[in-house]
Amino acid sequence: MEALPQTLLFGILRSGLYALTALGLAISLGVIGIVNFAHGEFVMLGAYLGFWLYLTLSGPLGLGPEVSPLVLAVGIPLSALVLFIVGRGVFRFTLRPLLARPELDQMLLTFGMAILIQNSVVIALSPQALDANLGWRFELIEMPGGVVSVTYARVAAFVLSMALVAGTYLLLARTRIGKQMRAVAQNRLGAMVVGIHVDRVYEVAFGLSLALAAGAGVMLIFSTQVSPFIGLATILKAFSIVVLAGLGNLFGVVWASLLLGVAEQVISQYVPNGAALRDGLFFLIIFVVLLVRPGGLGRSR
Amino acid sequence: MRRALAGWAAFLVVAALVPLAIGGDRYLMLLANVMLMFMALALSWDVVARTGQLSLAHGAFFGLGAYTVALGHRYAALHPLLGLLLAAVVGTAVAAGLGVVTLRLRGIYFAIATLAFAEVLRTVAFQLPDITGGPVGISMPPLFDGDRLLSYYVAGAIFVVALALSLGVRYTRAHYAVTAVRTNETVAAAMGVPVVRTKVLTFAASALVATLAGAFYMPFITHTDPQDAFEVSRSVAALVFPIFGGIYTTIGPVIGTIVLRSFEEYLRVTPPWKEGYQVVYGAVIVLAVLFMPRGLLGLTQRVRAWRS
Repeated sequence: MEALPQTLLFGILRSGLYALTALGLAISLGVIGIVNFAHGEFVMLGAYLGFWLYLTLSGPLGLGPEVSPLVLAVGIPLSALVLFIVGRGVFRFTLRPLLARPELDQMLLTFGMAILIQNSVVIALSPQALDANLGWRFELIEMPGGVVSVTYARVAAFVLSMALVAGTYLLLARTRIGKQMRAVAQNRLGAMVVGIHVDRVYEVAFGLSLALAAGAGVMLIFSTQVSPFIGLATILKAFSIVVLAGLGNLFGVVWASLLLGVAEQVISQYVPNGAALRDGLFFLIIFVVLLVRPGGLGRSR
Repeated sequence: MRRALAGWAAFLVVAALVPLAIGGDRYLMLLANVMLMFMALALSWDVVARTGQLSLAHGAFFGLGAYTVALGHRYAALHPLLGLLLAAVVGTAVAAGLGVVTLRLRGIYFAIATLAFAEVLRTVAFQLPDITGGPVGISMPPLFDGDRLLSYYVAGAIFVVALALSLGVRYTRAHYAVTAVRTNETVAAAMGVPVVRTKVLTFAASALVATLAGAFYMPFITHTDPQDAFEVSRSVAALVFPIFGGIYTTIGPVIGTIVLRSFEEYLRVTPPWKEGYQVVYGAVIVLAVLFMPRGLLGLTQRVRAWRS
């Protein structure tokens, strides 16, 4: 049995990517008010972009498996930019026309989009999972005293995720467009009245949400295999975090992610045969929160 | 109403005679069985949609039905036909529980919870090998020793239950309650419609049918595993058929199933679609929601209106 510090550390490190993924989902939910069932598929697209970059850099350019820092430094901004543009396009041509229609139609659209994207990748590429042999993936960081041991990849993913989450919060708190997003999230009509171009804010918010998903996707290739089917598990955990934080509560996402990450790690470490419980934890969270405190654990909004 | 009922009676007579036309072809009989099963599933999803709710758990109830029958057979030597009854009870009870918790809230919560529910059932079946057989799955002897004519009439009986539910919600007072809830919950409540109760009852009744379809599938196919029983693609099928044919109707899901399920049969054996055939379903959902919200039925109505 491993020591508690190790378990807690792994749990915390795990929560970084959770927070990044869930924040994107929370933005499209909180600002625009739509459930993006395709969010996990956009994470998957980000992962494939990262994987493609890794192949390009390590193969034809002959940099070998030591390209990890470069994949992160180039891959995250690149795939974020690509998906930001894609997101704006998707919003303008498919979601915006549906905003006045029933909620059912909007949810059906994003769900259909998820199926469409997933299976397009299956057909265009392959249903097989891909494995990136990145340098940092299994290299352990030398720790004085040797109480805990972690890989470079986990630490890098956590630090970068948190930096992106913090950057997004800064954007929401300080910039003009960020303040507009929060205003629209609070009161759509009021935002219109004071002259905010609501449709444009929606479009940027959706692009931002997908950009965050793309960044998370790139980092995913450092910890797991990439396959067209990773979207579902990704989005279910993100949903449980968003529900735990309270729908539309953008700032509660970090704490909720931390809770889920650490809980998962503790369960798989200390509960005998805890795999079923760990993998079903997201549902337990959703169900219990909806039963006890539908507004989420934090203050709502 | 009378015309509609007469039409469906005629449909049932034709459906009952289909095996005569097929003769002894085992593949076509398999397809006919599966077709009725999916029609029931599609009809049951549509009934929930009439309350404005998106259920992504219909594939899960299907799998729940399959596992209930298989487990009943394994541990209590339960006859498959009695298993159907047990599955119906289990499915309805589980749906009522899930519904009571999630249907008081905004529709978003329900949709999310149903998706999560589907995945958690798969996980449980997967991670409890001592009870469910785990990833290896579970088997049972075939229904009526594999007689596909007799099983066709069992599937037909389940289809009749689905039909009765769909028509029942259309031609009784339930229609007004359901439509009011879908259009505007606040107004519906103000008019005296018990909003939550309407949604929960509809969902439970619908889950009953979906579970029955899965309970039929299990002894028909004789083996299943968590991946197969709780496949997301079945939840997709349950919703894409009604959307393509025409949502909020009885004839729409039936037509949608016949057209799309036949097409799927072709795609499944044709490269490059084979493994990714569902790309078509994704595209159908997106395009239908954007450009033909009432499906094929809406399209024919528009053509008729344009002609006259």
